[in-house]
Amino acid sequence: MAAHSLTVPVDDRQVEQLQIGDTVYLTGMVYTARDMAHLEIRKLVDKGEPLPVDLKGGAIFHAGPVMRKTADGWEMVVIGPTTSIRMEPHARMVGELNVKLIIGKGGLAKDSLAAFAKHKQVYLQAAPGCAVQLAAGVRKVPDVYWLENGMPEAMWALAVEKFGPFIVTMDTKGNSRYDELKAAAAEKIKAIYG
Amino acid sequence: MENFRITYDEILSLVHNMCTGISADALAVMRQAAQAESNPAGKAMLEAMIDNVRQAGQLDKPVCQSPGFPTVYVRFGDGADLGGITKWLPQAVVECTKRGYIRPSIVHPLTRQNSGDSSGIGVPNFEYQYRPGQQYLEVIMSAKGCGAELANLSIIMTPATLGSNYVGLKKTVLETVAKGGGIPCPPIGIGIGIGGQMDVSAKLSREAISTRDWRDQHSDPLIAGLEKELLANINALGLGPAGIGGDTTCLAVKIGLASTHTAICPVTINFHCWVARRFGVRFYPDGSREYLFREGK
Repeated sequence: MAAHSLTVPVDDRQVEQLQIGDTVYLTGMVYTARDMAHLEIRKLVDKGEPLPVDLKGGAIFHAGPVMRKTADGWEMVVIGPTTSIRMEPHARMVGELNVKLIIGKGGLAKDSLAAFAKHKQVYLQAAPGCAVQLAAGVRKVPDVYWLENGMPEAMWALAVEKFGPFIVTMDTKGNSRYDELKAAAAEKIKAIYG
Repeated sequence: MENFRITYDEILSLVHNMCTGISADALAVMRQAAQAESNPAGKAMLEAMIDNVRQAGQLDKPVCQSPGFPTVYVRFGDGADLGGITKWLPQAVVECTKRGYIRPSIVHPLTRQNSGDSSGIGVPNFEYQYRPGQQYLEVIMSAKGCGAELANLSIIMTPATLGSNYVGLKKTVLETVAKGGGIPCPPIGIGIGIGGQMDVSAKLSREAISTRDWRDQHSDPLIAGLEKELLANINALGLGPAGIGGDTTCLAVKIGLASTHTAICPVTINFHCWVARRFGVRFYPDGSREYLFREGK
């Protein structure tokens, strides 16, 4: 199980090297996006309009931070992953946008695995609830989009350095740590209760 | 009328401390689990979680970015004067939001309009429970994470589907946990409400995991046995911390019970993430206080 320090944006070759169980730290730009930001992106994509940021080769983080407004802009208080499965309906769109790294918790499902294989993407699991630790990797908050949707649902641009650790749990080859564990758990339930 | 001499500042301080720590009983169970965890990645994950709690306490920051949804259990006896708590608790939540301890995350359920300050219809949710003869006033507030809610299940079982030795119920619990995987932020607590009608089972499930000490034992041997068996078997599933593998999937199973109608057995399985933010205080008429599950930091 290797450890990787990646600078975003990343290319297909870098993503294909990531194996289940590897640890990843990120440097560069990471954009938060949860339910409402995905819907905003979809609106623009459907209208054929450009997105406010370039996500090609990039990283999106299923997360909503706690931010404090200061005289110079925004100060990161804490940030951690939200439940990714709610974003599963957007699997194809996120693939076609060429996002390479999707960070969250709990994993995604089969449409995402298919998109990951086709578009060379991976899923990175963040430590759930470890919001103070993760915030230490955020250097600056240069921008925010769609703040009218509320603090958690806005898309925050985060300039990060050694941001992590994240664990690769879904790869470009159709593997999902969550699926493996669920299948094993189902077998155990049968063994216990028939 | 019993006046417990509660002040707004006291309430504000309780809500503030709830955000920056987790319940001491949950933290104690996590520490034990971290020692015993045989999966290296799972162990590292548990240690990171425990360290994150320590840092949050030290830096006076919220443990988790997601504040969950607050429910308050108010258990009062005859002639208790609840003072300002019905007004002050929502006010304290708004103030803690403005100070950066609570992320504004309360929205209209349909329009998704965010109030911006954690205020909203029915927020916090208050559960008033009259306890005849009780001298003290007990207030328990719990901010339960909502990713965990995505794994919940309410089901109306029947004598047939309960199965012999309740194997149908037990299987349903295990299958719901397996299906939830990493979604509810394991290691989880699970509240199971059994009985009443659907609404009763749902309320009991939340109350059981939110108001009981995660290390306690149920007074009814049948229920205590069921809790113990489910906890052991859930942890045998191997889902692990964060759902990425390990021995520590569940920290506590707590069952709340009510009688039901002969035709049905309503069951609600209610997930709690490991971030057990809550406070509990017993206010006594002489002005003294007894603190339940004092926040671990």
